[in-house]
Amino acid sequence: MAVSFLQEKCIEFIHTVFLLLLHLQQGIMTNREEKIIGRRLKTSYITTVASITLVLFVLGLLGVTILFTRQLSDHVKENIEFTIFLHNSAGLPEITGLQQSLEAMDAVKSTEYISKEQAAEELMEELGEDFVEFLGYNPLSSAVIARLNASHANPDSLAVFEEVVSKNSIVAEVDYQKDLVQLVNDNIRRIGFGMLIFSTLLVMIASALINNTIRLSVFSKRFLIKSMQLVGATQSFIRKPFIKKGLLQGFLSAIISNILLVIFLYTLERKVPGLFLFDDLTLLSALLLIVIFLGLIISWISTYFAVRKYLNVKTDSLYYY
Amino acid sequence: MQEEIIRIQGLSKHYKVGMEVVKALRGVDLSIYRNEYVALMGPSGSGKSTLMNILGCLDTPTSGSYYLNGKDVSKLPDNELAEIRNREIGFVFQTFNLLPRSTALDNVALPLIYAGQNKFIRRERALKVLDQVGLSDRTHHRPNELSGGQRQRVAVARALINNPSIILADEPTGNLDSKTSIEIMGLLQDIHAAGNTIILVTHEEDIALHAHRIVRLLDGEVSYDQVNESIATIEQPTQAS
Repeated sequence: MAVSFLQEKCIEFIHTVFLLLLHLQQGIMTNREEKIIGRRLKTSYITTVASITLVLFVLGLLGVTILFTRQLSDHVKENIEFTIFLHNSAGLPEITGLQQSLEAMDAVKSTEYISKEQAAEELMEELGEDFVEFLGYNPLSSAVIARLNASHANPDSLAVFEEVVSKNSIVAEVDYQKDLVQLVNDNIRRIGFGMLIFSTLLVMIASALINNTIRLSVFSKRFLIKSMQLVGATQSFIRKPFIKKGLLQGFLSAIISNILLVIFLYTLERKVPGLFLFDDLTLLSALLLIVIFLGLIISWISTYFAVRKYLNVKTDSLYYY
Repeated sequence: MQEEIIRIQGLSKHYKVGMEVVKALRGVDLSIYRNEYVALMGPSGSGKSTLMNILGCLDTPTSGSYYLNGKDVSKLPDNELAEIRNREIGFVFQTFNLLPRSTALDNVALPLIYAGQNKFIRRERALKVLDQVGLSDRTHHRPNELSGGQRQRVAVARALINNPSIILADEPTGNLDSKTSIEIMGLLQDIHAAGNTIILVTHEEDIALHAHRIVRLLDGEVSYDQVNESIATIEQPTQAS
């Protein structure tokens, strides 16, 4: 009798210990699972933001390239020289008068007077021999070199400018490289067209990449979307938290990509002399705002359509996506 | 006279798959009355899932009418269909469709959030239905801490919380072992006995035998609609013929 009672108590004790161990194990498992799920969610959020950031950073770089290309093309155009040869009889007051009237024109950015002697010196330096002594006189004329504003450095404007300048009595001849002007303008147009196609393609690729990233993030919640729908949540109610999250991700990514972009441009300006990327702060600020706008709009559209897709999918079909 | 809860007339559903039009339902007529326990059966492609989606207001028919509690719901916009789903229909799915990060209590209370009930009422009612399905000791467990049968019980509790007009159970035992399947069928039997209307979608003959009426679909049409003469109960399960 006593043995049977003891046996019963022993079994009861073992059973209690076993249950305690089971609960403990379940508790540890649950904590571990929760940690893993939490880590996965964090990783997925960080991956999404990082992907969108990188794509927006590339878009920002494209924007900077477009801005910088414009600066570069203006720089090339404004360095095209328009040489006005003067009659030997032209006196200094007349020459100064010509320079002043040229500089008053919209088309002209700057002028430079080169005297006969200065021209001879420069040519002698280039040739390496004293041609004045050889010839017995200086055959070169004095000249005014005009550099034009980028907006006027095209064949049509130059032809008009040439006509106006030639009418001055002290001007003997006007010379500029017509072919070079044409070539520069043609090349800039060609590069501009290429940039436009490249930009369109890049924006499309960027949108597709962001869209894909967001779709993947929504895909992982397709069952949640369906569950909410089944218990009677309206489409807008289900969509709202996803859109909020998408906009937040887009905004965060745009801010990070803008910080990266500014750091990159600052480093580039310091390392490469002659680059003045921070000269036009208004344009740069506009570019940074465009990046934020793109981040928000692409994220919003992508989230909207990704959620809509799973709202319209049947429960059974969720497994085949 | 029995109260008609569902009346569908000439219900058709056509899908466009590429250039081809698939006729999933071809003029189905069906009436279901309050406190009926109906099994909807049919082979793959017979249209039973399509019919269930329409009955559950998850889809709308191409033509025909669907009256739920006397109201034509066949042409309602999405938001109104969501409201009907919330008030009138309780879903139980093979895959449970529970929110993985929420506790059993929160999962069960979810429909009441959309119904605009306050936190106190939500909690009270959720606890009550969880007790009804025998899970009063699992209220704060998440789905991953519950067994398959317990998860399905949570889904059943969630379906019951709004006192819906109908409970739509789509293959509720599809993911469960035979012992747990019997438990869930017993639970559905109790729910039916308490006065609820149940529509059970299944392809398993022995599961369908728990229903009081069997409707078979074939090629988008009702091919059989009879009262079940040999109802299987949990105490004495009948073998499928």
